[in-house]
Amino acid sequence: MSTVLDTSTAEVVEDKIGESMWSKAAYKFRRDRAGMIGLSVVAFYMLVALGVGVGLWGTEWSDNNGQKWEGVSSQYWFGTNILGQDIFERAIFSTKTAFEVGLVVAVISTLIGAFLGALSGFFSNTWIDEIILWLMGVLDSIPFYLFVAAIAFALSGFAYSMHVAMIATFWTTTSRLVRGEVIKLKNFEFVEAARAVGVPQHIIIVRHILPNTFHILLVQSTIVFVGAIKSEVILSFLGLGVKNGVSWGLMIAESTLEVQAGEFSNFYAASVLLFILVMAFNMFSDALQDALDPKKVST
Amino acid sequence: MLQNSKWLNGLLQLIVVMSLAGCNAAIDIDKALEGYLKGPAKIYRHSLGGAPSSLDPLNSATLYANYIVINIYDTLFRYKYLARPYEIVPNLAVAMPEVSEDGLTYIIKIKKGVFYADSPAFPNGIGREVIAEDLIYSIKRHFDVVNRSQGSWLWDGKIVGLNEWKEAGSNYSDVIAGLKTLDSHTIKITLIAPYPQLIHTFAQGFSAFVPHEAVKHYGRELSVHPVGSGPFKMLRYESSNYALMIRNIKYREEPIDLEFEGYDPILHKKYGIDKIAGKSPPLVDALKIDFIKESASKWASFNKGNEINFTGVPVEQVEKILSQKQPKPILTPEMAEKYHMFNTTETGFVHTDFNMRDPLIGYNDDPVRDKRNKLLRCAIRSAFDWKERNDVFYSGIAVTFPGIIPPVVPEYDPELSNSSTLRNLDEAKRLMLEGGWTTDNVPSLVYGGVASVATRQMYEQFRGWMKDIGYPEEKVIFDSYASFGDFNKAVKQAKIMIFGMGWGLDYPDAQNTLQLFYGPFGAPGSNSSNYNNPEYNRLYEQTSTMQPSTERTQLYREMNNMVIDDCVTISGLSRENIFLWHKNVVSFTDAQIVGGFHLKFVDMLDEETK
Repeated sequence: MSTVLDTSTAEVVEDKIGESMWSKAAYKFRRDRAGMIGLSVVAFYMLVALGVGVGLWGTEWSDNNGQKWEGVSSQYWFGTNILGQDIFERAIFSTKTAFEVGLVVAVISTLIGAFLGALSGFFSNTWIDEIILWLMGVLDSIPFYLFVAAIAFALSGFAYSMHVAMIATFWTTTSRLVRGEVIKLKNFEFVEAARAVGVPQHIIIVRHILPNTFHILLVQSTIVFVGAIKSEVILSFLGLGVKNGVSWGLMIAESTLEVQAGEFSNFYAASVLLFILVMAFNMFSDALQDALDPKKVST
Repeated sequence: MLQNSKWLNGLLQLIVVMSLAGCNAAIDIDKALEGYLKGPAKIYRHSLGGAPSSLDPLNSATLYANYIVINIYDTLFRYKYLARPYEIVPNLAVAMPEVSEDGLTYIIKIKKGVFYADSPAFPNGIGREVIAEDLIYSIKRHFDVVNRSQGSWLWDGKIVGLNEWKEAGSNYSDVIAGLKTLDSHTIKITLIAPYPQLIHTFAQGFSAFVPHEAVKHYGRELSVHPVGSGPFKMLRYESSNYALMIRNIKYREEPIDLEFEGYDPILHKKYGIDKIAGKSPPLVDALKIDFIKESASKWASFNKGNEINFTGVPVEQVEKILSQKQPKPILTPEMAEKYHMFNTTETGFVHTDFNMRDPLIGYNDDPVRDKRNKLLRCAIRSAFDWKERNDVFYSGIAVTFPGIIPPVVPEYDPELSNSSTLRNLDEAKRLMLEGGWTTDNVPSLVYGGVASVATRQMYEQFRGWMKDIGYPEEKVIFDSYASFGDFNKAVKQAKIMIFGMGWGLDYPDAQNTLQLFYGPFGAPGSNSSNYNNPEYNRLYEQTSTMQPSTERTQLYREMNNMVIDDCVTISGLSRENIFLWHKNVVSFTDAQIVGGFHLKFVDMLDEETK
């Protein structure tokens, strides 16, 4: 049986020789239909979240104006919950909660992961590397949800305990990936050249090495972003999540008793919105990973 | 029925225990038991919403533990099976106590010829006779310095010499002046001050007769190897799953006198109660109590067939199973075809308290602010919507009442105005205005509770009501606690500003709820609101030594009015419990005061006699 090689992408990329890795990646990403759909959906959700943030919509999420378990109507698009609250308003407001958690966790854990990973990689096989590896090993050896729950318990009362818990666990993967990349990069000629002309080590790390790990950080931050959203839902379901406000996790937790009483609106609203966002983020993340993969980009 | 033969029973127990010991978890224990209890063996399968933490009477503090303890052990008194209002009657006691005129001395005779169930704890494994000294020993255990009793509060500072005995090092051979035996079957108790509720304390699991041999034999393991003279004997106990008990064949013969128990044909005949007249409890060969916390699982198990015979109805199922909720719950025809139903108001209530030690909402050194705080509390109470809370969380069938004396106790005042339980937004806004409270200057309200869905929803509902009187959303804050233990600890440390509480009566006397607002019982005591009104405290102390009387009832009601007038708590609501059981079960259940005492009266009908 013969194999037919699809060379169309390779040909197009070949035509772009001379352009930067980023422009090649952007070009490739734009040609990925699934990735573009994912990005569009994520962008739409982000717009919704921004609208909630600036008070354009989702402002009545806490009002108890309706009757218990009202059906779908022009007033209440998704019906009402047991307290007579508008499920649509709550679902929309939860988008902001999801993005807030995702963004905070993704940014901070990526920064920590990048910094410690770069340190670890640059000083590999030294005591700095040993300590960071030990720390990552310890954190990774604790079952994730047990660890997150423990931190959330320990910091109960602190509004951002869930964020802290997730950041404390999510940075390690990023750090490992960056470490590996830095170990590779530090032996490249441009780094050796910088060393030869006497550039201080911290400048080498910050100016010369870290920028070359951005493709990893970008992909990893999208993965952390969606991971944080999913974890928030689970933690909120367990009562360890969002303190003030509402989230899809809280809505699903609320729906556990409602479902037994034959009321599904809360469950459907939160689950479907969560599913679409997570799916879109995964598609976006996969496409980004493909686009930024140095092997594929340089093909 | 099984033969009343010690030999046969012993053999059967051995066979069952051996077979069960050999079984793995996958084997259906019920079937194994049925297989070995040959003949028309009767097995009643009850269910409880939680598991006991200990079966040692020392720690039978939960409803679940008490349910089992009073079926394994004996108590001096119990409550009549069917009579309502509740009536306390002798159980192991021969008669009600002889009380001296000054109310300080109680003489109680116990029945002769009552034996403990056979156990390896006794010489040759044969249970000995129950004697008066056993009660004294059992009460001493609560005050033993090495024990951490959860029931010692019942007699703390009440019996002459008991506290001193503890302080002197709890030497069991030392005699306590207020706890003596006059002969092997007569107990004399001398009190420091009159304590009218004393007899009720002897109807609780805490006061169960414990043989010292069992304590010596099992030590701390007594919490899972109970040995008593009650109607049932523990066969197998899995602390988080179930308790399997068999009939104690040594239990005394006492034919049921239905008239004495409070039988009313109009109320009880439909449950087949007339069929147990003249029989001697316990009426079933085996009693299995499953501990099923998850209401959906319990409901499924009940509907599955014969997996469990009894269940409380989860709130989320109430709408489905009832064809009518008010004025009286009625089952749908298809449910009525399959099950018996009984609904009863809980012997307790739920309320939302203000922490009076918090200067932002409670007592304040500044008299002006103190007055404004009271107006704020009253405004919040006026905005509270009990009707909506009832509809949303209690299926609209619970009973609301003003103050802290619930309808279930005889001191309840049906004529008392219910205005404190009615939502009145205009009045709430007027009070806010009078207190000079505005959106800008109102203090943040911190509503504490366990991090559960229900508590959070109650908070959200509360926040909605507060918004209706102009409270900014961001000023009504939820303070969540990971577990009930954490929450309770914070309440006991007076750290929470506003919190929902529930209370189940230990005995049917309003004193049991009035003590919740007695100043000296403030945190870490039972007075969670930390209310401290000198006049209220004086009346509480005055009534605490009074026997039930019209005068005492009047004083109770005065105290109730003080709590209402001072807006210390938003109260109250007594939940309506709905119980279902299969048609082949003869029972009249009661969850709290009679509680587990009803289980020895439960019978199972054969198919033909159903």
